[in-house]
Amino acid sequence: MKRILIIDDEEDIREVAALCLETIAGWEILTASSGSEGILVAAQSSPAPDAILLDVMMPGMDGPTTFQQMQENAALASIPVLLLTAKVQGVDQRRFAGMGFAGVLFKPFDPLTLAVQIAEKLGWVAI
Amino acid sequence: MRSEAEFDEQNESMLAAIWQRHRPVVIERICLLDRAAAAAMEGTLNVEMREEAAGTAHKLAGSLGMYGYDEGTRLAQEIEVMLLEDSVAEPMRLWELAVELRRAVFPVM
Repeated sequence: MKRILIIDDEEDIREVAALCLETIAGWEILTASSGSEGILVAAQSSPAPDAILLDVMMPGMDGPTTFQQMQENAALASIPVLLLTAKVQGVDQRRFAGMGFAGVLFKPFDPLTLAVQIAEKLGWVAI
Repeated sequence: MRSEAEFDEQNESMLAAIWQRHRPVVIERICLLDRAAAAAMEGTLNVEMREEAAGTAHKLAGSLGMYGYDEGTRLAQEIEVMLLEDSVAEPMRLWELAVELRRAVFPVM
């Protein structure tokens, strides 16, 4: 069973994502409402999450900054991170390119296909 | 992996429950956009209120489609783009979009 950490400041995004990923894919879901909480949850998770869904725009530490801090932590650096963003402008695409994310998922997501999108981005064959 | 049909049967009510629980937040956010549009029409929309409204539109754009309100997401995206400019070039259009957004999500409001 995969273990996924969702980091998003929006409660309903976390709830809907958790609901569909648990139900459709049967994955175990951890959640955090901020970048700093997400780093803590990831570090304390045993086993470590198989992947992290990370919102871009959050108060305090934003997604890219959270990701950079994870990259500086040897225990977390190898966890694939998928950005979750409502932004579609080219400037953001350029900003994210080359930062080392495993991929970008766009909000709003379709609850029915989110698990498949994640699996495809991460090359997970069967869910 | 469960089928979509199975998800529908087992979880549609749970998704609806999440929507109902967060509905007041959505209403509050739409009202904030209404106030920002009204302020733009009156020429009193300051930077702080514009940026707050842009952030609010961004949050709505990122969530409404998740509940099936695709038109709501489209309208919120359009509002966000207008509010990200240094000044609102077309206040009347912003007002119209705010009205359309409210009607798209809450037809009876």
